[in-house]
Amino acid sequence: MNANRQEWTSTGSDTHTRVIHIGFHRAIVSRPTRDWHKEVTATLNELAALPRGWDGYNGRPVRFDCAYFALSMLEAICPADGPAPQIVPGSNGDLQLEWHMPNEDIELHVRGPNKVTAWRVAGATDPDGEELQLTNDFTQVAAWIRAIMEPAVADAAAA
Amino acid sequence: MLRDIVPHDANLGDKNLLVGWRALTTKGSCKTGKLMARPAHLPEYGSPPLDEVVLGIQFNPAAGYQQIRAGEVWALYRDKFPVVEEQQRLAPTFETFGPTIFARPAFQLVQGAEHDRFWFVNKAGDELIQFQSDRLLHNWRRRVGVDRPYPRFDEIAGSLSAEAKALERYFDSLEQQTLDVNQCEMTYINHFPIDDGGEFQHLSDYLKVVTFEDEPDDGAIQYRRTIRADDGTPIARLYCESNAGIRVDGAKVITLNISVRGAPRDSTIDGALAYLKEGRRLIVTEFTSITTDKAHRLWERSK
Repeated sequence: MNANRQEWTSTGSDTHTRVIHIGFHRAIVSRPTRDWHKEVTATLNELAALPRGWDGYNGRPVRFDCAYFALSMLEAICPADGPAPQIVPGSNGDLQLEWHMPNEDIELHVRGPNKVTAWRVAGATDPDGEELQLTNDFTQVAAWIRAIMEPAVADAAAA
Repeated sequence: MLRDIVPHDANLGDKNLLVGWRALTTKGSCKTGKLMARPAHLPEYGSPPLDEVVLGIQFNPAAGYQQIRAGEVWALYRDKFPVVEEQQRLAPTFETFGPTIFARPAFQLVQGAEHDRFWFVNKAGDELIQFQSDRLLHNWRRRVGVDRPYPRFDEIAGSLSAEAKALERYFDSLEQQTLDVNQCEMTYINHFPIDDGGEFQHLSDYLKVVTFEDEPDDGAIQYRRTIRADDGTPIARLYCESNAGIRVDGAKVITLNISVRGAPRDSTIDGALAYLKEGRRLIVTEFTSITTDKAHRLWERSK
């Protein structure tokens, strides 16, 4: 099996012991470059290794499933050149992804797989912001992320 | 390699299928132990080219369970599955939807304790349960020397249902709880033998989605598709991959793996089984739509 190949099926019991795939030796799929990916992965690793009681009370390390789900969610919403979020651990193994810009804040609270509270406040006209309860479709949040990237894109074009 | 020949976010194009999916996933109509009858219009094959079928669920880790108790889980199934093998753990996978997904994350957390994956295998070796702290899967696989035909989806799904309910009862005995399913997965693995000089010697003899004026020696195809409800809500992702290969017995084969994964809206075991039932319908429909008529005759398609 070629280690560079992206595998889509991993639950078969003997896919790789009974058949040598000719294509495996030639099919190399590179992961798309994502500026934020390395940073986010390193942070999630740190948070998953937090000691119990890290918050001075009985805080748990970030749960594996929450970390994996958060990264999968980011893959769905963040373009390669998108801004990396700040990652804040919760005390119950949950976590929060946050983007804070001069005129806009976005927070995604991953309470568990398929359980996300998304919140955005943009400008001073709507101090309460907008809140969504989401499962696995993050199309709306992706639009929020694009919106906070637009000033940067405009600046780059002007320069 | 051809990749993504079908747009990621294309609709399946079969409205009836999707209506059925939504009805099932929102109402969870699969009652305990009574799977619904096979859909009447679903294509059927007397001799399908299946080599392996996997049905499984991924769930939130149970409170009070630790790896040291894995033997207690084996005890639930040991009568029928007396052989144990240890395997590398499968990382959690989640189908999420948005505009920018290109590939699943190849992300591995390296910190923290992990639970192994155990295979509980039956005596004949043609069925196994895969268990780890957040997964339960049931595999049927073709074995040389085992004279038993493919048992069909309903039997495998019935087994998974019973095994999941036994696991749920066990977890509930540790701390009061139910199994909270966060993802379902099913995979059909097909083998097409290559008959050098015969009627089936090229990829295009089996797959009608590829046509060549000059047939290549070998090749690979991958695509995936988002499955959507009538209102456009994404509800699953279908993966299809085909490769040329050589089996351990030296036979040339083409493999065709079709998988469906996603989160059931009803996170109970019955909800998951209803989701898998619809996933089967998607896989069989996809299989039929991309394979050739002459291959259907070979596999004794009856409708």
